[in-house]
Amino acid sequence: MDPAKTPLGQMLLDEITPVVMVLSTPSVEEACLKNGLSFLHMLTPFSSFNNIDVPVRTASDQPYRLQKFKLRLYYASAVRKPDLEVAKEHLRQVITEAGEKQFSELSLDTPEINHVLENYQSGNAPSWLHFFNKELIRAVSFSEHETFDHPVACLLAVSSKDEQPINRFIDLFNTNKLPSLLNDGMMDPKILKHYLLVHDNQDGLADRATKILTEMRSTFGTSDCALLCINSSTDAPVKHEENPWASYLWQNSDGSPGQHLGFFLNTDDITMIKDLMQDFSSKHIIPSMEQKIRVLNQQVSATRKGFRNQIKNLWWRKGKEDGTDSANGPMYGFSSTESQIRVLGDYAFMLKDYELALSNYRLISTDYKLDKAWKRYAGVQEMMGLAYFMLDQSRKEAEYCMENAFTTYLKLGSSGQQNATRCGLWWIEMLKARDLYKEAAPIYFRICGEDILHSAVMLEQASYCYSSKPSMLRKFGFHLVLSGDRYNKCDQIKHAIRTYRSALSVFSRTTWSHIKDHVHFHIGQWYASLGMCDVAVKHMLEILACGHQSKTTQELFLSDFLQIVQKTGQTFEVSRLQLPVINTSSLKVVFEDHRTFGSASAANTRESLWRSLEEEIIPSFSSTKSNWLELQSKLISKEYRESNVCVAGEAVKVNVEFKNPLQIPIPVSGVTLICKHFPSAVEVKSDENISRRENDNAGKCEELTACRDMCSENSFLASEVDFLLRGGETTMVQLSVTPREEGTLEVIGVRWKLLGSIVGFHDFDFNHVKKNTLKGKGKGKRSTNEILKFLVIKSIPKLQGSIHPFPDKAHVGDLWHLVLELRNPSEFPVKNLKMKISHPRFLNIGNQESMKSELPACLMKKVDSVPSGANANPFNKSDTVFMFPEGTTVQGATPFAWPLWFRAAFPGKISLYISIYYEIGDISSVIKYRVLRLQYNLQVLPSLDVSFQISPSSLRLQEFLVRMDVVNKTASEDFLVNQLSSIGSNWEISLLQPADTIFPSKSLKAGQAVSCFLTLKNCRSLLAAKDNISLVPKPVKNDIILVPQGSEDSVYDVSSEPLVNFHHYEKQQQELQHEAQGDLNTVDFVLISRPLQSNSDAGFVGPPVVMSHYACHCSTASTGPISWLLDGPRTLHHNFSASFCEINLKMLLHNSSDATAFVRITTSDSAVNGGHLNSANTAVSESSSDDQGGWRHVTPVNEVKVTSNISGTQPETPLSLGSVSPYIWSGSSSTKIRLESMSSAEIPLQICMFSPGIYDLSNYVLHWNLLLAEGQGDQDEMRRQSGKCVGYTYYLTVLQST
Amino acid sequence: MIVCVAVVGNQNNPLYIQSFTEADDALKLHHIVHCSLDVVDERVNNPKKSGPMLNEAFLGLLYPTDNYRVYGYLTNTKVKFILVTTDLDVRDADVRNFFRKFHAAYVDAVSNPFHVPDKKITSRSFAERVSTIVKSFGLSSTG
Repeated sequence: MDPAKTPLGQMLLDEITPVVMVLSTPSVEEACLKNGLSFLHMLTPFSSFNNIDVPVRTASDQPYRLQKFKLRLYYASAVRKPDLEVAKEHLRQVITEAGEKQFSELSLDTPEINHVLENYQSGNAPSWLHFFNKELIRAVSFSEHETFDHPVACLLAVSSKDEQPINRFIDLFNTNKLPSLLNDGMMDPKILKHYLLVHDNQDGLADRATKILTEMRSTFGTSDCALLCINSSTDAPVKHEENPWASYLWQNSDGSPGQHLGFFLNTDDITMIKDLMQDFSSKHIIPSMEQKIRVLNQQVSATRKGFRNQIKNLWWRKGKEDGTDSANGPMYGFSSTESQIRVLGDYAFMLKDYELALSNYRLISTDYKLDKAWKRYAGVQEMMGLAYFMLDQSRKEAEYCMENAFTTYLKLGSSGQQNATRCGLWWIEMLKARDLYKEAAPIYFRICGEDILHSAVMLEQASYCYSSKPSMLRKFGFHLVLSGDRYNKCDQIKHAIRTYRSALSVFSRTTWSHIKDHVHFHIGQWYASLGMCDVAVKHMLEILACGHQSKTTQELFLSDFLQIVQKTGQTFEVSRLQLPVINTSSLKVVFEDHRTFGSASAANTRESLWRSLEEEIIPSFSSTKSNWLELQSKLISKEYRESNVCVAGEAVKVNVEFKNPLQIPIPVSGVTLICKHFPSAVEVKSDENISRRENDNAGKCEELTACRDMCSENSFLASEVDFLLRGGETTMVQLSVTPREEGTLEVIGVRWKLLGSIVGFHDFDFNHVKKNTLKGKGKGKRSTNEILKFLVIKSIPKLQGSIHPFPDKAHVGDLWHLVLELRNPSEFPVKNLKMKISHPRFLNIGNQESMKSELPACLMKKVDSVPSGANANPFNKSDTVFMFPEGTTVQGATPFAWPLWFRAAFPGKISLYISIYYEIGDISSVIKYRVLRLQYNLQVLPSLDVSFQISPSSLRLQEFLVRMDVVNKTASEDFLVNQLSSIGSNWEISLLQPADTIFPSKSLKAGQAVSCFLTLKNCRSLLAAKDNISLVPKPVKNDIILVPQGSEDSVYDVSSEPLVNFHHYEKQQQELQHEAQGDLNTVDFVLISRPLQSNSDAGFVGPPVVMSHYACHCSTASTGPISWLLDGPRTLHHNFSASFCEINLKMLLHNSSDATAFVRITTSDSAVNGGHLNSANTAVSESSSDDQGGWRHVTPVNEVKVTSNISGTQPETPLSLGSVSPYIWSGSSSTKIRLESMSSAEIPLQICMFSPGIYDLSNYVLHWNLLLAEGQGDQDEMRRQSGKCVGYTYYLTVLQST
Repeated sequence: MIVCVAVVGNQNNPLYIQSFTEADDALKLHHIVHCSLDVVDERVNNPKKSGPMLNEAFLGLLYPTDNYRVYGYLTNTKVKFILVTTDLDVRDADVRNFFRKFHAAYVDAVSNPFHVPDKKITSRSFAERVSTIVKSFGLSSTG
């Protein structure tokens, strides 16, 4: 790459060029001003040449041709170091102007990052930055230590109007007026002078001018004088096609480009100026520079080149070292060798002989370094770097030199700061020219001096470096933010906004919320300070949901936001306001078509649950009923099928969840639904899609206003809710809208007012929301907006129902009498009522007659009445659906009441669901029937725990011992246990001990457990066995009063309506849990108790009077239909020394089944059954040690003693017997008998003993086989046709008789 | 002293950022961490520069600012750990050691079944563990 083509090369070719000092008389200026130009400006456009084509020969003999050349023209007064303050002010001006300009161009939406990057790609920073940089560089021109700014020539201009022009020329170059550089010896006062006579053609002919020119020529020499005629165009102002001055002057920003510059300059004039300047440069300046270079080069070679000179120089320098050591090093006059070398280098540089320049710079740099003339040293280093660059050699060297210069300047402190800035900029350009943008950025950063404004600009430029590929976006953003921050400090708000907004493009799509908030917040603040509150609000809105910030920050954000909003003085309407957060996925719509809900909780219950409950009560119109929709579709048109149906006058409720992400409370007011109502459904249907689209296009505002207007029209009524959201709180708000007229109602969104000043809208736009979150009829396929669209039909009756008094809490077993009350506020009757209850164990539908009955009176056994069979078994109604009596209608003000029985069946949290179906009577409507859904929740606490254990009595067949365990599981409740009953007439129970001893304290305290023993007698089998003929049921005693005598409680009738019904359900339920046994051998018990009234807490609706506990299917035996009893002696004495002992036993068998049974008794000798032998053996051996607890309850205590004595005397005997069996079954080993149904039999058994001891006679097996009559062997009975029973333990103690 | 540690997800989203200074410089540290991601990206995209460090999670000194040193660590799941410290001469081994412990803590934190991947780490025990690691780092470097 040609270095001259790079931006830096261009800049150097522009900036490091010979300076021409211009001196002019006022009359010259006057003549030029006619054209709106100063003399200098008039010449300027013609002082740069693109194709001058001058041969140049510098130090070497080889000439080369110069193509591009430029002169910099300055008035003598400008040839001095610019004033720092003025320059600063100027720069500030530049920045401010640029800020205004850029800001006005700034679009209001956040720029896309790609767009931003494209803009700044390859460091293509805003143009004003270039200009600013140029100005910065210009601020350090005409410094003493650099000579390329020193004028190489002087152009003296005198007007032909001036008196004594020759003298004027001499006066002009009066040393007093000349710049200090020339005067104080910093540069050679012998300077090339060119004398120019300016003639204004408007002042007359050029005669006088030519005369003066000849005079001049004779005075100053022929070649150095020239004549310039201007303003030739006298009459018409000249319009220049391309005004050469326009661009130039604009750059200087003094004078507006709109002026007609060069008014009176015609083409001849311009050509003349051109020629003059070309002549001046090619014939005078360049040759004189060549000349000077050659002269200086000779001098330098004479004094400094060569080995001898170098040694001398070193020596001389060393001697001088301890001498002058000022900050800037020694002063170097123009005649000093050092200055001359520098001049030589600069001239060579300007004439583009970079090799020569470089060699001289190198030469001088060591000198300066030795002299500690740091500024000069830095200057030379800088030039060396540039020379390297222009030569495109050794990049490393170039950069090294630049860095060296830069750091050296910086070391100088404030005096070098400006130079450092320039040097840095050049260095950056050098790096940029080589695409080393990333390396350039830190240099910008280093340039940042104390001046905040400058560093702001520099940081901004640094950020653009990061945007070049491969971009480092985050650094780009960061530097922009830094820069914006500094702009802000210097009150350059517009720049600050600009930079922050560019930075926003980086951050906007990240999740770095801290940074994002900062940026948005400041942009908002700045816009507000500029009075652009609407934009400010827009940015502030972004930071409202700043839950991640600290509380103070949140407060700050919110208060600032409010301030800005108040400044605007209007209420903002913001779509998708971030505060509070609306959880769209939590959105729930509750509306009532044919389904109506008794309470909110009923509406929240899953639809499928209701549907399964209602399956049987809803009329089915087709066999292929898959859902409600299809069902209805038979009846109603497509239009009705497609939308949800709601009834006029009945509210559609929408539950919306609001969440406050902040830690500070925010007040939200006026929360309403935004709805649309179309009066006629037909219209909507005809072009449904189109109309909707149109509505969407119409824009939100219109819709909203429309909504409000319609509100006033009263076609629907939306509820309004106010609430305060505390920090971090989430609230579910129920909003409702009640349509009043038929048509179509569409819920569009929700609006609310935040902090009393901002109105937020949120559209329920579900296109991105999962659809299954909505409650509905499985409308997954439908567009979600449809879900919020309702077809409003005309008002139809709606039942309201309640059950009272419904308890919140109950104990298990509590029995209540409740009333279901139905109301129909409308004038039309409803009929065909049906009801279904989800938990029949809890709720039971009573009879109309029991409406008035009261607890516990209705449960009492009437003294006179015998339990009638019909009443005892009233269970004819289906347990699924309860049909209210034919002709039941509900209408008008009078409520319809129906009794219900409630019993808490099991502990836990229970939800009861009740569905009531009704048909709409007289009016025709798309909805023929409706369903009222009621839901009640209650908590059931555990109370009494009753368990029964039944074991066959060993004394009598058909008699059982029952142990009842009652545990009070409550923490504080006491109960009175009233009565235990067995259900049915088959079982008779009686207490084994008086009731007083069971409950000495008359009640069961909290946590107390009580056991009592009962005998249970199977009357049925006895009855059946004894008097088969008599079918008259005898009253059986199946109730036991457990309350101590003297209590006035009478006996509860377990066959009264509620108790028997609940028993039915309990039995069903427990049947599922237990392995069902044969019908006949199980018994059901009811325990009736009452809580003691003393401590009933508030949760209970009146203390329940009666509690009932059911224990069903308590098995009496595990043996199947056959029961038996082994009868015989328990203890006997025998003299084993005489003979073995022979014992006769009896086995009583009873068949309790309905069929004839075959029973086979198989005895097995203990020898065969090793297990029994061993157990018998161990039993004996353990008896000797007498440490086995199991002994005691088997045998009476006194006998144990005897046994132990005996075994003590003969401990060896049982062991010595070893494998010999201690007893054997004698007689037949297998007996088979036939047992008729309900009959008993007796079988004799015999056993032989060989030694004393305790024997367990259980090693026999009963096999039984039922002979079933035809048709009896159905599925249930199959598994019980045959069975095998292992004999039960029968202990026999045989003692050695003395 | 460690000024700040951060966990940055593979989408360059901040997962955890905790400063250990009293001053209110959260924003600054956010910026520093955010910027250092540029350097991480650069390191990852130009593996030539870090040739011998292939398969090495520790990225070394990311960039030296005036007052801070920023070190980076890249896990196999492209989760970045950033450490900002004010110690200008920290031994590499110390930093490696720190990151190893930090990584272990992070792994434990994200193994929590209640942690949602790619969401901010809110575990209090993780925060406690990190702060002990940070404290121990200070001790080992001084002692």
